[in-house]
Parts: sequence; structure tokens; C-alpha cells
Amino acid sequence: MSDEIRQDAPQAEGDARQAGDGEGRQLTNAELELLADKMGGSGGEVKRIGYLSLIGRRFVRQRSAMVGLVILVLLVLMAIFGPHVTPFTYTDPDFTSLNVPPNATHWFGTDGGGFDLFACVVHGLGRSLVIGVIYSVLTTVIAAVVGTSIAYVRGVPEKIGMWFLDMLLIIPSFLLVAMVVRAASGTQGWVTLIVGLTAFGWIGYARTLRTMALSLRERDYVRAAKYMGVSPFKTIVRHLIPNLGSILILDTVLGVIGGINSETAYSFLGLGIKAPDTSLGYLLSQGSSAMLSAPWIVLIPSAVLIVLCVSMQLIGDGLRDAIDPYSRAAGSVEDEAEQEEAPEPAGN
Amino acid sequence: MAEKANDSTRGTWVPQDDVIRYELLEGNGPKGAPQGDPIMSVRNLKVSFATEAGRVDAVRGVNFDLWRGRTLGIVGESGSGKSVTALSLIGLLDDNAKVGGSVKFDGEELVGKSDEQMAAFRGKSISMIFQDPLSALTPMFTIGEQLEETLLIHNPQMGKQELRARCVELLRMVGITNPEERLDAYPHEFSGGMRQRVVIAIAIANDPDVIIADEPTTALDVTIQAQILDVLAVAQRETGAAVVLITHDLGVIAGTADDVLVMYAGRAVERASIDTIFDQPSQPYTMGLLGAVPKPHVAAEHRLVPIKGNPPSLAAIPKGCPFSPRCPMASGKCFEVEPVLEPFDAAEGHLVSCHKLAEIRERHLSFQEVYPELEPLPAKWAEVPRDQRPVVLEVKDLVKTFPIQGKGLIRRDRGTMCAVDHVSFKIHEGETLALVGESGSGKSTTLMQIMDLVRPEHGSIEVLGRDIATLRNNRERRELRRDLQVIFQDPMSSLDPRMPIYDVLAEPLRAQRWSAKDINSRIGELMHLVGINPDYVDRFPSQFSGGQRQRIAIARALATRPKILLLDEPIASLDVSIQAGIINLLEDLQVQLKISYLFVAHDLAVIRHISDSVAVMHLGKIVEQGDTEEVFTNPQDPYTKALLSAIPIPDPKVERSRERLVYQDGKLVSSSSLLPTLEG
Amino acid sequence: MARFVGYIAKRVASYIVMIFVATSLTYFLASAFMSPRSNYESRTPRPPQESIEASLDATNLNDKTPILQRYQRWLGGIVTRWDWGQTPTGVSVNEEMSSRIGASVELMSLATIISIVVGVSLGVYTAQRQYQWQDRFLGGMASLFMVIPTVVLAILIVFAAIEINQAAGSRLFYVTGLSSYEGGNPLMTFLDFLQHILLPTVVLTIISSVGYHLGQRTYLLDEMHADYVRTARAKGLTKKQAIRKHALRASLIPTAVSVAFSIAGIFTGAVMTEKIFAIHGLGEYFINCINNNNIHGAVAVAAFSGACTLVGALLADLFAAALDPRIKMS
Repeated sequence: MSDEIRQDAPQAEGDARQAGDGEGRQLTNAELELLADKMGGSGGEVKRIGYLSLIGRRFVRQRSAMVGLVILVLLVLMAIFGPHVTPFTYTDPDFTSLNVPPNATHWFGTDGGGFDLFACVVHGLGRSLVIGVIYSVLTTVIAAVVGTSIAYVRGVPEKIGMWFLDMLLIIPSFLLVAMVVRAASGTQGWVTLIVGLTAFGWIGYARTLRTMALSLRERDYVRAAKYMGVSPFKTIVRHLIPNLGSILILDTVLGVIGGINSETAYSFLGLGIKAPDTSLGYLLSQGSSAMLSAPWIVLIPSAVLIVLCVSMQLIGDGLRDAIDPYSRAAGSVEDEAEQEEAPEPAGN
Repeated sequence: MAEKANDSTRGTWVPQDDVIRYELLEGNGPKGAPQGDPIMSVRNLKVSFATEAGRVDAVRGVNFDLWRGRTLGIVGESGSGKSVTALSLIGLLDDNAKVGGSVKFDGEELVGKSDEQMAAFRGKSISMIFQDPLSALTPMFTIGEQLEETLLIHNPQMGKQELRARCVELLRMVGITNPEERLDAYPHEFSGGMRQRVVIAIAIANDPDVIIADEPTTALDVTIQAQILDVLAVAQRETGAAVVLITHDLGVIAGTADDVLVMYAGRAVERASIDTIFDQPSQPYTMGLLGAVPKPHVAAEHRLVPIKGNPPSLAAIPKGCPFSPRCPMASGKCFEVEPVLEPFDAAEGHLVSCHKLAEIRERHLSFQEVYPELEPLPAKWAEVPRDQRPVVLEVKDLVKTFPIQGKGLIRRDRGTMCAVDHVSFKIHEGETLALVGESGSGKSTTLMQIMDLVRPEHGSIEVLGRDIATLRNNRERRELRRDLQVIFQDPMSSLDPRMPIYDVLAEPLRAQRWSAKDINSRIGELMHLVGINPDYVDRFPSQFSGGQRQRIAIARALATRPKILLLDEPIASLDVSIQAGIINLLEDLQVQLKISYLFVAHDLAVIRHISDSVAVMHLGKIVEQGDTEEVFTNPQDPYTKALLSAIPIPDPKVERSRERLVYQDGKLVSSSSLLPTLEG
Repeated sequence: MARFVGYIAKRVASYIVMIFVATSLTYFLASAFMSPRSNYESRTPRPPQESIEASLDATNLNDKTPILQRYQRWLGGIVTRWDWGQTPTGVSVNEEMSSRIGASVELMSLATIISIVVGVSLGVYTAQRQYQWQDRFLGGMASLFMVIPTVVLAILIVFAAIEINQAAGSRLFYVTGLSSYEGGNPLMTFLDFLQHILLPTVVLTIISSVGYHLGQRTYLLDEMHADYVRTARAKGLTKKQAIRKHALRASLIPTAVSVAFSIAGIFTGAVMTEKIFAIHGLGEYFINCINNNNIHGAVAVAAFSGACTLVGALLADLFAAALDPRIKMS
């Protein structure tokens, strides 16, 4: 016996070295981790960071994702510092200039009530961002916990849980949210809006995550955990949720767009953010009635919304490609390879 | 297709026509030496893929010829480039593959042809049989439609009647009964073996000259495998085609091939006719491969000798001879320069690529001399006879039924299926009981029933004398789990990829409420026990090879010092050269720790090697049970006889001379009587 | 066949239970968050208290009556007379709903058909050109349209239409309503309808074809890499033929399933589009209900949407069963 072990110990080292070299044409996450490890040295703690830094590197390598990130940072800076660089506020109208197009004093012009549009837009941008981010994080957390739990329990509780989710889903959540958020008013209205959006926003997502967790729960390591006597709660927290990790992060980023879209829709319908508060959706509803006389009132918030959503989308796409080696990565690699081997005749 | 870049890094490699010429001299197989011109000639075939990790050279200069009526077996482990070779012959590689060298079919160059040009050859002159019959057929179309399509592509003038008649003929040829009715069935209505027959029918529909079979039986049970190999032989006889049989299983090769090419790291390392390769393997890798597999037809006498290390990844092929890091003979030059195929014996055309060729030839080195000396099997705690030791696990009359549900829209219950049907067995301390059976025989279900630790539907399960029906709560279950652990088939999926090894090993201990300090020292012990460097505890499972991962899974199962280990096909997903190491480890651990194993497997060779007693399962029942040697040498039940007779034996002479037995409706019949008759 | 009918009946029964529970929950939710009383209290001059109570009692909307009692009366009306209650102003919800469903159907039918055709074609087209410029361009457009809020898209289209109208000097496009022509010429009526329906249809088509485009592309790409496509190629089909004959067929099944869902959506309309283009469909009606504290109207719309969703689910099952031989109906 002891011989066997002595024989094997040096072999193990050799194995690990070989394993570190990566294999196959399509790299799995696991192999990426491995590559990261190889590049990042051999310290114990370095490895997790190594994986993240590899994802980071893959993300940075994508130009469109970086463009999205830069735009988003600029927008966030605008939302934070915007209110301080203009003498006007979104609450105090300038009665000397009503319906003025963009000019040196009022950078984005004013609306019919004399409100400075720049002040309104930067405030609304902040609102949209805050609502989008909080909504997205909350729904992801709730959906992850509910979805994985339903997937893990099996049997009667699973059936009841699924019936309940289906039941909640048959009535379009848009309608349910509308009923709740109509009560939103005043400066605290945005909190109500977040609560309403979150209350019904997680359901469909939880169903999706359950489906993903279903395949995870059949993995041997989940069965192994059960047979080792690990409690269901610990199994969910230690195995199921971390293994959905990259999907959860990605969906949180994309969920922000959903939150912003919902805010816009409800506020436009007069159900979400209302005066005296303001938001991009609210500005759109105000401006849509004066589209001919003062087009800038709708066009400027529209432009800001488009830029905001597109930047988030670019970041989300970049993140997806960075996390998932099976998506666009193969294609970009092909391109790289072709460039490298350009002098040679093309393949068959 | 110029491939200069590659050549410059790997030394010059010219098509070795003068070496290839020796092929014609071979002839100690059943068909003698090849006659006439080859139908297909492959010269200096190279395939590389552009990947994120850089360029991967999957095939690096392979040469061979195919003759009509002969079968070339290509043997190799995962990553040897054998499947890529096969796909490049028929032009089905992915778009990001670069193919170099030459593939000539009947004198016509195929490399460089467009997809449209190749389509004219595919299915007509060259056809292919794939590994997984379950996904190889389009689920939307009937068997008949798919067969007819094959015929119509190349014979658009065929009439309806003619098509149907030919389809019926083809299905009959591959041994499908009731072909007229079966034509209108959809693939999902067929079993895996039946679907593979249909795939073969498609492959031979247009009377091809070359049939490429890529691991055609790997996904199938052993008895089905034997039948499919027979069908393949019929297909070859019918079409007179050259067959390329790609496999990792030396037993499959022994019974079917005329010539053999052994591939390693994208190159051929040895090439010989079938009897030569088994009689006189001359490349250390081939020797190791043949030596490492347990023999199903002889009793185990000594420990297996593993080839150390792992097959190299194609993205990082070692410098020099790719086998050198694993080769016991490697020295100096082996680590520097890659060898080329040279004739081992000019008169026979036996080609070997090894720097030590001269030494091997002169000293007549064989497996025994090249690899470390064979050790006797470890003494199995002989002082107390097995049946006098305490019983640690006893299963009595265990029954497990599943409701059968119709698939799809209407899930109505169609009654129940008895997956485990009154199964009884017991395991003594330090004993290995193997549960053998094909897929669907209920062996894994039995195992999971034991692991679930809940009162069975019927019968009883006693673990260490405690009837599990008397377990009152989860705490008592958890305590029992300390003594009862499980190892799964695929270490890739049984270890959480997001957990470092330390946490993987700590998990069962934490579940048993061990203190952090005890856990720490126990993990150190465990790593030593299974032969993994304890410094690696911070690494993630993906950073280890398949064999190492299985060692880690074993360590995890041993963490709580269990008395009983249930093993669910623990080596089935590992490469042949790795399996031996794991088997040895399990044997050592048993001797050292006096654990009992319940070993579930379908590989009879492994079972014969490792187990003390065997229970053969068929359709949920144990049909035969007894001492391993007794069951293997003197089987009583007809199903056991058929099962044993279906195992391919890695010895061509034995394979050729024996008659297979097939279990049909409770009776044994010889397989030759079942071969489809051509007149029908 | 009898078994099939039995299966459908069982399924429908379970759906009815689901709708019942969901609608009841919606009723309680709406009652908690809407206050018809404020409709009266905010009137100037404020009506006398007794008259407020009397009106609320008459419409079963008085929040001073225990909720369960109101629920019982509301439910009784539906079960016995198929009466979905009254608005705070005393109008029958049944009547209001029925006139609006028609408008929604007019709006949605065309848009649904066009978006399916456009979306699926684009999906097939781009999947076959994965990572080529066509795919990248159309994919980029799709993700752009996917993230832009509907409001913004609609407003921009309206804005552009108004600019065109002004440049042309005549009203080529109407941006509100579904009709304005009063004459009797059927051709003119049809032309007038087209002028009205065009812009909302464009908006709806853009929004929903994006989903079909990206979905179909993914499904086809999945199937394109399936083993059976390789088998088909090994038979002698070219890659393109193999995709067209084998992969495409399988990839249309999930698309057909989502089409089934959207058929049901025709009846429920589109809230944002109807609001922006002032089309008096069900979506706009719902928003009006919310704004007017019309509890019964809002719940009725929710229940109707729920019923449509489940009809869609049933249709989806039937579509899948009809197209996929692996799913058997009996």
C-alpha cells in the first residue's frame, strides 16, 4: 500500500501540470479557471481572483462592452454631479423662461411650466438608475432563493410551489403592478414603485431559475451532498446558488434595464413617479402633449433613456460573452485565428 | 493546403511512402495480406483547430490505406485524434478546422473539396456510423423517411415502390424484424441498439466503398454491442466496403479488425496487423494499454499495472515523444525529438514509432520487462474467512417500483414497472460484492435505494445490523451516513466545480459536526491516502485530471471512515490507461481499511478482477449470485452465460474462435443463427 | 380520442381553478389599493355623505362593507348572472369590456401576423449567417429595439410621422384612434383604417418581432449543431440542405409554441401602444380603470387576460403535440 502512494505522489504533480495546460477546442468555465490559475501563479487565494480577473480580461477585450461601461460611468457621474453644476433645480420653475429651447442658460431648455429640463433630466436619470438597480437586485435575490428552493425540495412541496408560481403568472404582472403602484405619490413615490415592481417582478424569473436549478439538482455533487447528510438549506446555499452564480450576475445587469423600462412605462401612464418628484418617464408623459411646440421636452429624455439602456445592454452582452465561452467567444477566436494566419491560403 | 508553420516546429515529416509500402506485407490476420490497390489512401493528414487557447493540433501527420473488404481499427484514448481523423475522411469537420495533407478516394483528392463537392461522396462512396444512436436520427421524421432520403439523394430517379422495397430490404439486412411496419415508426420508438441498426442501414444504403464507424458501440450495453458488431460484419460483407472502426476498446478491435493503428496525441505510434499487435506490441504505449486492462477471460492473478500520468492535451503536447512523460523507458532523446514510424520487422510491415525500437527489438522486450514488475494481488485479510466475518449490509427482498407514464401530452399512468424485484444479498466486512447488469437492470436503483435510507416499499435493508426502517429522524440517518458512503461514476459531476478541494473534503465532515481542527488534520490524511499532494487543497476540481478527480471523490467518501462504500460505475468514465490506477487504489484501501464494497458495474473484466462475489441482475431480478470465479467459470443462468459470452476479449485468436450466445426469451441461442439472412 | 377529450377537460378544469384563485387574489389586491370613495369625496361640491354611501353600496364598492361580504356579492353576480359588476359611475363592466375587445383585436391581429412572419424569417436568415455582418447588424438592431422603452420608441415614431405629415403638407399618418372617416365609400373607409393602423402596427411589430427573431435564431442554432444534422450530412446532403430539411423543422416547434401564446394576446391588446395612439382597446381601458378606481373593471380585465394566457398555454400544448412526433396525443 505505502508503495502505491509513494509511487503516486510525484505522479500527481505531473498530472496537475498537464491538467493546467487546458484542452479541447471549447474551453469550459472550469478550463478557464484552470488557465487563470496557470497565469495567476500558484497561491491558494489567488485562484478565485484569477478566475474573476480572467473574466475581467475577457470583458475588457470587447470594445463594445467597454464603450458601454464608459457611457454608463458618464451617466452615473451626470446623475450624481449634474444637480450641482446647474443653478436650477427640478422643483423650482423659472417663470421668466417658459417653453424655451436649449440655450446657454437652460442647457436642455425648459418645459411649459418653466422647469429647467437639465435639472429634471439629471434628477430623473438618478431616479431611473436607483429604481433599476434596486429592483434588479431584489428580484434576483428573491427569485434565486424561491426558484432553487422549489427545485430542490421535490415531491408535494415542489408541486404546490409550482402551482403557486403558475397561478401568480397567469395574470400579467403588468396589471398587478399597476394596481399597487398607482398609490405612489409625493417624493416617496419611487419607494412604492420599487416595492410594487419587485412584488410581482420576481415570479417569472423564479420559474426560469427553477428550470436551471432542476438540471443542477440532478448533478452528482448535489446527490453526494444529500448522501453525506448535508442539510437541504446548506445544499441550496453552498451548491445550487453558487453554481447559478454567473447567470445571476448577468441577469442582475440585464434586470436593471427591465427596471428602467418599467419605471418609464408606469410613470408615463401616470401611475409611477408623479409631481413634485420627476423621472424620465414622467418627463416623457409631460412632453408628449407638446410634441409639436416643444419637441426637445420628449427628445432629450428619450435620448438619455436610449443611451442608458443601450449602455447597459452592451455591458450585459460583454459580460455574457466573458462568462460563457460557448457564446460569441468561438466566433471571435476564429476571426483572430484568421488574422494571424492571413498569409496562408484560406482553409477548405 | 500548405501547413508549413506546423512542420517547422515539429521536425520534417514527409509522406513515408516507403514505410507505408510495408503495409502490404502484413498478413497474419484472418484475411491475410491486403490485395490490390487501396480504395482510400491517407497521407500526412493533419487537422488543427483555432481555439481560444491557441491552435490545437488534433491530427499531426497520419498515414494509412484502406482496402475494400478489410477493417482498419484505430485505437486510442480521449484526445488521441482518432475521431477527428474519422471526420476528416468524410469532410464533416467543423468550419474552424484546417485540414492538411492528402486523402485520396479511388485516386481522387478529397482534401480541399467544398461541402457541395464532398456531399456527392458522402452517403454514396463514403458513409459514417456515429457513436450515439440516440441523437443520430432526426426525431421529426420516420425511419422510412430517413432511409428513403438517403437513397433519393444519390438516386433521384427511384420510384416509390422501389424505394420502399429497398428500405425493407435494408432494415431486414440489419436485423430489424417486421421491417414493413417499422418503416413508419419514429426514432424515439426504437431502443438504442435498434437505432444503431437503422444508422447502419442508412450507412450501407447506397452500397458504399468506405464505412467509417466512430465508436459505434461505446454507448451501448455489452450484449447489444456484440449484436451491433455482428451487424457491422454483415454490412461489410454485403457492401464489400473498407471499414474504419474507431474505438478505445481493445476487445472490440480484437474481434473485428484486420489491421490496427494505435494513435496517441494525434499520431500513429504503432501499426500492425491484428495478431501482431496483440502478440507483439512493440511501442511502450501499446504495451501499457494492453497490459493495463483487466482480462475478462482469465482469473486475476496480480495487480494491474497502470500507465502513470494522463493522456496529454492536444493543446499542449509534450516536447519530444508525446508519450515520454509517461514512458518507463524514456530517456535523453525521447524528451527532445519526436520519433517517426519505422518498420519493426521489415518482412512483416509492423510499424512502430519509438526511439527505443532497436533495444525493444533486440532484447525482445515485452510488457513485463518494460513496465515495473507485476505485484501479486494484495492479501485480502485472509486470517478470517469471508463468510465468518460480520455482515455489514444485508438487503432482503427489496422491491422498488416506478409508475410508468406515457411520455408527452397525456401523462397517464400505464401501471407500474418493477425496477428492483425482490433483490436480496449480503456483504461481509472487507468483502467486495459486484452488482452486474446492463442499463435498466436495476443495479443503480438498488444502490440509490440503499443510500436514500428510507423504508423501502417492500423488504428490508440492514446497515451494520440496523434496519433502516427503524431510523426515526434525520439525525439518526446522518449518523448512519457516517458509515455508508457512495462514489459516483463521473467525478466531473460529483465534485462541485465551484468548491476548492478542501471544502469538498470538508463537506461530509462538517455535516457530521467535526471540529475545524479535526477536519484540517483529517483532510491531510485523506490526501495522502489517495495519493494527491496535500498542497493542492486550495485547487478546484477542474484543475485535476479525471483520474485525480476520482481519487478526490474516493477521499471524500472515505472522510468519515465509513464501513461500507457503494461504488456506482466508479471507473466507467475514465480512460483505459487511468482505470488501472483507480482499481489498484480501491484494492489497497480495502486491505488497509477493511471496508466493504458494493461495486456496481457493467464492465465484467473489471468485476472479475476486483470482486469477491458477484450478483448478476437482469430486469430487476438477481438471476445468479455466487463467488466471482465460480460465476465466471461456471455460469448457471442462461442470461449470465449470454452476458459473459458477449464480452469482447482482448485476444484476437480467442475472439475469432468462439461462438457468442444470445439470450432470447429466456433461452440461449447462438448468435450466428440470429444473423440476418440475405435471402429474406 | 375519448381519452384526449378527457385530458383536455381535466386540463381546463384545473385552469378554471387557477383563474378563480388568481382572480380572487386580484380582487382583494384591487380592493386594498383602490378607493372608489375618493372619486366622490374629491368632487366639488362634495356630495352629501349619505349619497356617497348609497352610490357606493349600489355598485358594491363601499369599503365600509366587510371585504368578504363584497366579495361574496361580486362573485355571486358572476356565477349566477355572468355580471362582472359595475364601475363607480354605475355602468356595467360587461358592456364596457365587450366594445373594447373588438378594438384590441383590430389593432393586434395584423401586428401579430406581421411580427411572426418578419421575426421568424429574420431568425432563420441570421442563424444561417451566424457571426457574419448580416447577423451582427440585425442582431444589434434587435437588441437595440429590445431595450428601448416602448414609450420612447412609440414617441419617436409619432414624432417622425408628424414631421413627415408637415413636410408633405397633408395627413399621411394619423397618430390617434382607429378611424376618422365618416363617409360611406368602403374604399375610403379602408384607406382611412390603414392610415390609422399603420403607426401602431409598426410599433407593435418592432417590439414583438424582436422576440421571434432572437428566439428562432437560438432554436435553429441549437438544432444546427445536433448530431442528427451531421447524420443528414453524412448521407450526402450539403450543410445548407441538412439545416433546411432537418434542423429547421425541429427549430420551428418552440416558435410555434410561442406563437400559440401570442394568439391569445390578440384579445388583451397592448397597454402602452393603445395609450399612446389613443386606441380605445382593452389595454387603455385597464389604465382608465386604475385611474378611475374602477375595481370591477380592473379585475375583469385581469381575469380576461388570465383566461387568454391559459387558452394560449393550452394551444401551445396542442401545437407542440401536433408538430412533435415524440409527444403523443393519445
